[in-house]
Amino acid sequence: MMVAEQLIDGRVIEACQQGDRAAFQLLFETYKDKVFSIAVYSSGGDRAVADDVTQQIFLKLFTAIRQFRGESEFTTWLYRLVVNACLDERRRRRRLLPWGETVAMSNPSEKKPQEKQYARLEVAEAVRAAIGELKPKFRLPILLKYIEGLSYEEIASVMGCSKGTVASRLNRGHSQLAKRLSHLNNPAAWGE
Amino acid sequence: MFSKHVTKDISAYCHGELSNEESKQFAEHVISCAKCRAKFEEVKLGVKLAEQLPVLAAPDHLWRELEPLLGETQPSRSSTAWSWQMKAAAAVLLLVASWGVWLVYRADALLADKRAWRVKRLDGTPIVGAEKISNNGELAVGQWLETDGNSRAQIAVSSIGNVEVDENTRVRLLETRPTEHRLELARGKMSAHIWAPPRLFFVNTPSAVAADLGCAYTLEVDDQGSSLLRVTSGWVALELENRESIVPAGAACETRPSLGPGTPYFVDSAAGFQDALKKVDFDPDAAARTTALKAMLDQARPRDTLTLWHLLTRVEGEDRARVYDKMATLFPPPAGVTREGVLALNQQMLDAWRDAMETTWMGVWKGLPKPLAEAYWKTKNGLSRRLKEMAPK
Repeated sequence: MMVAEQLIDGRVIEACQQGDRAAFQLLFETYKDKVFSIAVYSSGGDRAVADDVTQQIFLKLFTAIRQFRGESEFTTWLYRLVVNACLDERRRRRRLLPWGETVAMSNPSEKKPQEKQYARLEVAEAVRAAIGELKPKFRLPILLKYIEGLSYEEIASVMGCSKGTVASRLNRGHSQLAKRLSHLNNPAAWGE
Repeated sequence: MFSKHVTKDISAYCHGELSNEESKQFAEHVISCAKCRAKFEEVKLGVKLAEQLPVLAAPDHLWRELEPLLGETQPSRSSTAWSWQMKAAAAVLLLVASWGVWLVYRADALLADKRAWRVKRLDGTPIVGAEKISNNGELAVGQWLETDGNSRAQIAVSSIGNVEVDENTRVRLLETRPTEHRLELARGKMSAHIWAPPRLFFVNTPSAVAADLGCAYTLEVDDQGSSLLRVTSGWVALELENRESIVPAGAACETRPSLGPGTPYFVDSAAGFQDALKKVDFDPDAAARTTALKAMLDQARPRDTLTLWHLLTRVEGEDRARVYDKMATLFPPPAGVTREGVLALNQQMLDAWRDAMETTWMGVWKGLPKPLAEAYWKTKNGLSRRLKEMAPK
C-alpha cells in the first residue's frame, strides 16, 4: 500500500458519504494515478479515452459511495468500479470500431523524456504495448497485480471469480507477455 | 517426489501465494520436470516484464474538469468536523503531485525496500544494521547482517530455502522479488540450502556471482575478495562477465578478484592435480602455467574431464591440444565430434562431448537425478533458445 493510501480510513469514507468535497478530493488525489493507469492500459494507450473513463469512474464513485457499507475493503469496491468501467468502455468502443480495427497504442510519455534512451524505459514501453494487446480477462488481473499491488484473493474479489481463476489468468497473461516479448530475454535489452 | 505437473501454480509461486510446503513441493517438481521447467522460465520472464509496468501520472486537468461535475451530481454539504484536516491532507497530496510522479515512484521504492527476510540467531549476538539480534529479527533490502567470532545466524531466503551465516561474516540483502533473490557476501562463510527452480537465488562476491541451480553449497570469501565454493548437492554456476564455471556436487571452485572464477575440480581429485590447477588458473607466468598443465594432465582421472572440459576454452594453442588429447584417452569423443572442431572451439561439438561425459561427472553423486543435470544445461544455454524452440513453427 502506498503512503498516500494509508491516509484513507473509515472517517474519510464517511466524510465522502456526507458529501464533503475536501474528503473526496483527498480520495481522488490518492487513487487518481492508479485508476488512470488502468484506464490507459485498458484503452490501448488512448489517453483521451482514459481521461474520460477516469472521470466517469470518480463521478460514479462520488454518487455511489453512500452505498458503500464497509462489507468489503474500500479498495476492492473501488477497483470493481474501475474494472467494470474499463470493460464497459471497451464494449462501447468495440461497437464503434469496424471489426478487426484496434486503437494504436500511443506513447503515454508524450514529452519523450531523455530517460527514454535508457534500456529499462524501452522495456517498459514494449511491455505497455504488449499489455494493450492482451485480452481483458488476462490484462486486468495483471494490472490489478502490478499497478494496484492486490493479492490473489483481492483480485478474485474485485473480478468476482475464484483465486484459482486469477492464478490461471495471470499464468496465461504472463506467458503471452513472454512470448510477445521474447526478444527482450537477454541482458543487453535491460541495459545489463 | 511431487509428481503432478505444477504449471498452473507458477504465477502463484512467483508471487509468494503458495504456502512454504507448497513452494517446496513446487520447486522439487520443477527441478525434475522438463515440461514444467520450460513453462516456469517462460512465466518468470512474463513476471519480470510485467514488473516494469509503470504507474502513469494522471493529468492535472482531471480534477479541474471533475469538480464542477460533482456539483451537478451531488451538492456538496457543509464541511464535517474532519474537513479542515482533509483539506490539509489533500493540500499535501497536491503538493506531492506537483513534485511529479517521481515522488510517487520514490514512495513505492521506499516501501519496496522494506521487503525483508527473517533472521534467526544461532549463536552469540549477530547484528543487523546497528541492531543486535537476540532471537529473531529481519534483514531488509539494503541491510547488512554481521557476525563476530562468536555468533552465527540463519536467514530464511523468502520461501525458497535458507542460508546459515558462519562466524566473522558480513552479508547484505541486495534484492528479493519473485524472479530474483540476491545476497552479497563481502567476507566470511555461508552455507545455502535452496529448493527452488534454477536461477532464482544469487550470491554476489567480490570476484564472482554464484547462481543457484537447485542445490546446497558453502561459499567462503577471504579478506582479499577471493572465494571458494564447495557444492554438496545439485549444481552452482560461478560467473563473472563472460567467464563461467559450472560446479556440480562433490566439486569446488576458487575465484580471484578481477580474474573471476577458476576451473571447477572434484574435491577427491589428487592433491597434486589441485595444486597444479591453481597455477594453471591464477599464475601470471605463462611458462609456469604450461608446466603445471602438463603435471595436471598426468594425474587426471576420467572424472576429472569436468575440469579438462572447462579448460578447453581457457587455454590456447598447444596447451589446448594437450588437453584435448588427454580427454580423448579418458573419454573418447562421441561420433561427430572431431579434434579439429574441438580445437576450433566449435560450440556444438563442445556441448555434445559435455553431454556424453555428464554421466561420468554425476555417477559419483548418488543424489543427482539425470533430469537435474539436463535442467542445468538447458538453463545455462538461456531461455531465449528455449523460447525459440517453443515458438510456433
